[in-house]
Amino acid sequence: MTRPSLIRRLGFGLASALFALMAAAPALAQFVRRPFEVGGGEGGGGASGGLTGWLLAEQSQLTHVMVAQVKALHGDPAALWGLVGLGFAYGVFHAAGPGHGKAVIASYMMANDRALKRGVVLAFLAAMLQGLAAVALVGGAALIFNATAAQMNRAADLMALASYLGIIAIGAWLAWTKGRALVAALGALRRRRAAIAGGTLYEGAPWRAAPTSNGATAFRAHAPGEEAIDPADCGHAHAVDAAALGAGFSWRGAAATVVAAGSRPCSGAILMLVFAFAQGLFAAGVAATFAMSLGTAVTTGALAWAAVFAKALAMRFAAGEDTRVALAARGVEFVAALLVLAFGLALLMGAQAGA
Amino acid sequence: MKRAALRLALALGACLAATAAFAHPHVWVSVRSQIAFTPDGKIASLAHDWVFDEMYSSFATQGLAKPGQLVTRDIFAPLAQENAGGLAQIGYFTTLKINGKSVDFGPVTDYWMEERPDHLVTFHVVLPLKTPVAPGRYFSLLVADPEYFIDFEFDDKDPIALVSAPSGCTASIAKPKPLEGEDPKTLSESFFTGLAPGMNFGFKMASRVIVACP
Repeated sequence: MTRPSLIRRLGFGLASALFALMAAAPALAQFVRRPFEVGGGEGGGGASGGLTGWLLAEQSQLTHVMVAQVKALHGDPAALWGLVGLGFAYGVFHAAGPGHGKAVIASYMMANDRALKRGVVLAFLAAMLQGLAAVALVGGAALIFNATAAQMNRAADLMALASYLGIIAIGAWLAWTKGRALVAALGALRRRRAAIAGGTLYEGAPWRAAPTSNGATAFRAHAPGEEAIDPADCGHAHAVDAAALGAGFSWRGAAATVVAAGSRPCSGAILMLVFAFAQGLFAAGVAATFAMSLGTAVTTGALAWAAVFAKALAMRFAAGEDTRVALAARGVEFVAALLVLAFGLALLMGAQAGA
Repeated sequence: MKRAALRLALALGACLAATAAFAHPHVWVSVRSQIAFTPDGKIASLAHDWVFDEMYSSFATQGLAKPGQLVTRDIFAPLAQENAGGLAQIGYFTTLKINGKSVDFGPVTDYWMEERPDHLVTFHVVLPLKTPVAPGRYFSLLVADPEYFIDFEFDDKDPIALVSAPSGCTASIAKPKPLEGEDPKTLSESFFTGLAPGMNFGFKMASRVIVACP
């Protein structure tokens, strides 16, 4: 069997691709800028389009009302509450934007965990960090250095680049660990099938046991990582348990995901902050920005919840044969890991192509 | 139960797909365009004046002038150059179609940005046609961002001007087709072509100028 060497080769390929990407990073820092663009390449997700015309109209409307609300603050401080409420609503709608890390967080949760609370906390932290990134960028650039739009765009580019590379790195790391776990689960299923087929019950059945003298056991000996599935782990489980669903959740990985997903400030927040600053109402802009973040967190949290729920549901349907449950779990996790990687690459390519 | 799971999976997939495909306007532009003709009645060039919304205007002017002073064309020159320079690669946000065929533009000849007294920023640019083209019976002008990051709308009062056009040429604005009032077949068609996630959404949301010549 060539499986262990295949895995090693795959890992090597991934690692070298990642390294090449990191090495190319300085050259990537200069994003292709579309005319009149704001911030770190929002809308650079590659494709363009809309979910519904209604949603688009709603968002445009919200932005215009927010502008009016900021100006109303001059005579009426109570307008701040309206502004905060509008910001929250804007965030809920706006979280669908490609750079909002929504998909990244959801996929990460799908790949790693079934604990809803963690998913919601991650979504909240990423959204807040994104708000903080915008406040830090505009606050630092405009308030302290009196920077221009071009300078702020360049700073936002760097933050976006860091975010995209971080997402790619996390996706590659997830794909590597989850891919290994998937191969291990495949091995476990094969061994089980072989054991059953070898038994008297299926004697004479048209399919025969695959040779098991090497392969899976040999692989386990070579890859003792915590991701490898020991038959003892899930072999006796009757219900889906945490180990089968969410192997390998780590707060370190989660923190990296939050930073990668949240370190790119969004264009809407930058515009709002600069506008509020120009009106002499920077604090109101900060309040609106964090209200937007809260709204974003609601949408992202909902999707993280849906991701975890969908995975749990898929597990329930796969239930019956425990090795199959494990295989399904690893399969879902591996696909989710590839999604994270794909999102990161798409964001980076989008920014590079200026698409 | 299985069907419910399938539905959920589909919904989730749609969410994720929409995430990558979703853009909405961050910048709003009010468009005034001039179409200039050659002495022998061919279309020679387009001149755009784009007025930006308050938010983008304060972003563009940030840090460029002393408080209380307007940002002049001189101060704006680098930003105007950056924006004008990037226009070719995204098709100038401009589509001029004669007999259903898009005409090619040459490099921009004149451009500037300035802050108006009402603090809104104007971008002016001239797009010459690569070779002047006869207008035919009618032609159409579309100003739009296919990615819909920028929402271009023709100005309410003064959207279009024809300069030394052949006598009898008239311009009118065609708003995007509303979905109501069409027959069911077209309705479902435009639902899928117009509202489903896809490329060039901005084009579908844009108004058009139609110029008819005798």
